[in-house]
Amino acid sequence: MFKANLTEFSIRHPKLVLALTVLVTLAFLSPMPGMRTDTNPKNMLPPTSEVRVWNDSVDRTFRLYEDTIVVGVVNEKGALNPDTLRKIRDITAATMQIKGVAARDVSSFTTIDNVTAAADGLRVGPLVNRIPETPEELAALRRTLFENPLFLDRIISRDARTAAIYVPLEKGANGKEVADRIREIVGAQAGGERYYIAGDPVARDTFGAEMFKLMGIFSPIAGMIMFAAIYYMFRNLALAGTMMLVAMAAIIWSMGLLVGLGFPVHIMSSMAPVFLMAIATDSIHIFNEFYFRFRESGDKPRVIRETIAAVSRPVRYTALATAAGFAVLLFMKIVPVKVFGGVVVFGTLALRLLSFSLIPAILTLIPDRALAQASVSEDTATDPVALTLRKIAGVGARRPLATAIAGLALVAVALAGVSRIVVNNNLVGWFKSDADVRVADRVINQALGGTSLGYVVAAAKRPDDMKTPEAMRYLEGLQRHLERLPVVGKTVSVADYVKRINRVLNGDDPRFDAIPDSAETIGQYLFLFSMSAKPADLDNVVDYPFQRANIWVQLKTWDARAMQDVIDAVADYKRRHPSEMEFKPAGIAYFNLVWNNEVLWDMLLGFLLALGAVFAILVVNFRSVKWALLGYVPLLFTVLLIYGVVGFAGKDFDMPISVLSCLSLGMAVDFSIHFISRFRQRLDDAGGAASADAVREALAWTASRPGKGVMRNAVLFAAAFSVMLFAPLTPYVTVGAFIVSMMLLSATLTILYLPALVVLARPWLFGGRAIAGGRTAA
Amino acid sequence: MIAILRGLTLLGVLWASTASNGAQVSEPTGEEIARRSLEAFYYAGNDMRARIAMKLVNPEGNARNRELTMLRLNLGRAGGDQRYYIYFHAPADVKGTTFMVWKYPAKEDDRWIFIPAVKAVRRIAADDKRSSFVGSDFTYEDVSGRDLDEETHALLRKEDFEGRPAYVLESRPKTPLDYVRRVSWIDRERWVPLKEEYYNARNELIRVFTAGSVKQAGKHWTVTARTMKNLQTGHRTEVAFQEVEYGVGLSQEVFTERYLRDPPRQWIK
Repeated sequence: MFKANLTEFSIRHPKLVLALTVLVTLAFLSPMPGMRTDTNPKNMLPPTSEVRVWNDSVDRTFRLYEDTIVVGVVNEKGALNPDTLRKIRDITAATMQIKGVAARDVSSFTTIDNVTAAADGLRVGPLVNRIPETPEELAALRRTLFENPLFLDRIISRDARTAAIYVPLEKGANGKEVADRIREIVGAQAGGERYYIAGDPVARDTFGAEMFKLMGIFSPIAGMIMFAAIYYMFRNLALAGTMMLVAMAAIIWSMGLLVGLGFPVHIMSSMAPVFLMAIATDSIHIFNEFYFRFRESGDKPRVIRETIAAVSRPVRYTALATAAGFAVLLFMKIVPVKVFGGVVVFGTLALRLLSFSLIPAILTLIPDRALAQASVSEDTATDPVALTLRKIAGVGARRPLATAIAGLALVAVALAGVSRIVVNNNLVGWFKSDADVRVADRVINQALGGTSLGYVVAAAKRPDDMKTPEAMRYLEGLQRHLERLPVVGKTVSVADYVKRINRVLNGDDPRFDAIPDSAETIGQYLFLFSMSAKPADLDNVVDYPFQRANIWVQLKTWDARAMQDVIDAVADYKRRHPSEMEFKPAGIAYFNLVWNNEVLWDMLLGFLLALGAVFAILVVNFRSVKWALLGYVPLLFTVLLIYGVVGFAGKDFDMPISVLSCLSLGMAVDFSIHFISRFRQRLDDAGGAASADAVREALAWTASRPGKGVMRNAVLFAAAFSVMLFAPLTPYVTVGAFIVSMMLLSATLTILYLPALVVLARPWLFGGRAIAGGRTAA
Repeated sequence: MIAILRGLTLLGVLWASTASNGAQVSEPTGEEIARRSLEAFYYAGNDMRARIAMKLVNPEGNARNRELTMLRLNLGRAGGDQRYYIYFHAPADVKGTTFMVWKYPAKEDDRWIFIPAVKAVRRIAADDKRSSFVGSDFTYEDVSGRDLDEETHALLRKEDFEGRPAYVLESRPKTPLDYVRRVSWIDRERWVPLKEEYYNARNELIRVFTAGSVKQAGKHWTVTARTMKNLQTGHRTEVAFQEVEYGVGLSQEVFTERYLRDPPRQWIK
């Protein structure tokens, strides 16, 4: 009723409606300049989440930095030469001056503490204080590096070609800005070496910068493509403009609301404009119907009223279904996904409001002549698209059994693919293979211990327990066990320091590269170490009461599941070597694993919720469970096929894909709603009989007329998202490919399979010859 | 008689006022203040014996406690060579560990440590006076003093600091270190520092020294409670001098390898 009134009002006061829309849009535009992005993966989960609270406490206990940039210096002829060493020294010194860098804990040749045996005692100081020049000095440095596990694979590679500088960042520093400054510094060095800058903060903040660019470039391009496509379909600039206007207004309203409420733009919400643009194409059904009717009648205000009356129910319910799909996201634990869901729900509702106000208003204002000219080609009898659609539906209707069997076979294949799906998130993998960030990561991971960091925190029962030889040896054994995993490049623990000091205090004899036998000795070694080295060195690996120890585990991949391997290996070791110590994972790698799992459970929950919500909407819309089940088929079929392909292609099932799985239900169901609603209307209009012939005729009509709307909708939707296929960041490409194939598939499957199923299930659906369920008033 | 007394008092007042006037006319230079402060804070008495409790507190509020006896001997005038001997009483597992520093203002110190577990004295070659003193937030220089010539000193102003008259002195190392500027509040009468602020090259305050209590031991004013806080890490070290004696009669013999292995019972209780 409200919709009818709104439409009526808009037809009577088109200019007022237009002016109001502009005003509201301006209001939503005002907070836009305050837009900021947030690409910190930590914010995927709220600060109060268990894993974040735990990680923060681990960071504090062991004086760890949340973020570290790794600078790789590669010299193919070997990095251990005076020239390269001088460059490392200069780069280190310059890097320490950068704002945001925790200068005191930068680890490099010239800053890292080295405990060595000197003539009559031990020497503690930076590894390289004076650049070695003679072959003897260089050989000595080489020996020092290679005999000390604290250096090898960490600041120097085994082939001695790659050296590394670890640059920890103060809280709140921008990783990309620091990385850019480091790039300037290394850029100013004379040739001979290659430099790689990697690490989580670089990836993250580079991603944020790219994201802004993508929003600025890709959303307008998507808009232009849609504009061109609509123009091509309707040959009327004013109409294409109307559609764009509706889309733009909804986007501005939604993004304005997001920014105005103080939310940062995250990876998912940066895609919201393109989603809204595509969802806006649903109003194509209004234009589609308007054109057919305008050609038949010519009395514009009446045609507008009739059009809105005819399509309002399906358009309303498809909007509801879409909104429901997104609203499901509001129940998820992943914060940015929640926000994204809210934004799109709001945008979808705004779009519908505009469909029933702005569109009738503008249709009223457009001169009749322009419209008449545009709608000449709209005739189902002559239009080639309509004819093709009629044929497709005919295949389904005439050979329903064969069609259904072919479908079942496809489902079986798809299920096999689905079973091969691997859940995984990899932030660095979100960049394309040749992106700087990813190349740097690859090079450093090949040469050194790894750029991704996880921790295993060992907790003993009592203070000072960690100083016992048993605890130390346990840590050592666990480290060797972990290092057997292919994903683990390097581990460091307090045991490494104890062994090192034992050796150095015993005349640098390699036989003493072991844990001593008494707790007192270990206590004194640690005391000596804490007296002589940088305080952070010891604090990083053991807590103040010597009750907890921290094993650093450098991983060679950012795959979230790599940390699961580590956790499993720890459990395995503990099973074989029972201990009263407890072990808990921590660090960014662990965080990635946790939210990776959260995504999976969220997705499962969301998918079930979406299934339920969409089904409920179908039941209400069709006032029939049978028809709702029928409407479900093309939808489930589409989703299954796509996941089958994802599984076979070996593509990681990551956050963007799992979010899409919920949305796709709400979006793909649109076509079923349109098709079934209009088909049943047509049957009613034709007298209500459900004979085989009447059903076939109605199916053919539905496929060619509203079916054309469905196809147009699908093509437009796909066109908008096809832009994303060209994005430099893989999640956008994934989303683009997913939506494009989903739209085209679900439209095709709707037009092919609904007729087949309606024909097959006719007796069941119509209960003999009567029409089942409540009838829809036209 | 009363008149004479009154006259004397008046004379005394007059004398005192002219003296202070004189002081105002010839205000000590920054260099002089730095020298007097070095003498009072690092070279008081010919020797010193102190029982010290040291508390290392991390930002979490966890503490590591150390108890030690420190012996110090000056080998000449203020600003010259010194010997330090440290015996650790606690924590329990390091009891008996001894540590010795021969401090030379113009060159790197010599340091030795005796580790009971290996029953051996090891020389520690360290090339940085700015490194942490026994793992605390104090550097070796914070404990034994900086060579006057390594910094330039300028008197900024005079002001009262927490009820004490103080000189505010600005010192800048001639070659930039972890800090490039140090501002000290130095007691105008007792010459001990009441507070020191260290600034890095980005002009950020990075470390703060504060004197929590100043007491007289014999004729020497001693900062008996001192804290060094690192503002970058949030870590701090609190030091309490529980017993302080000056001029106890230490000889150079105590500061040798022999006594590292076998602590002098006379001084270490």
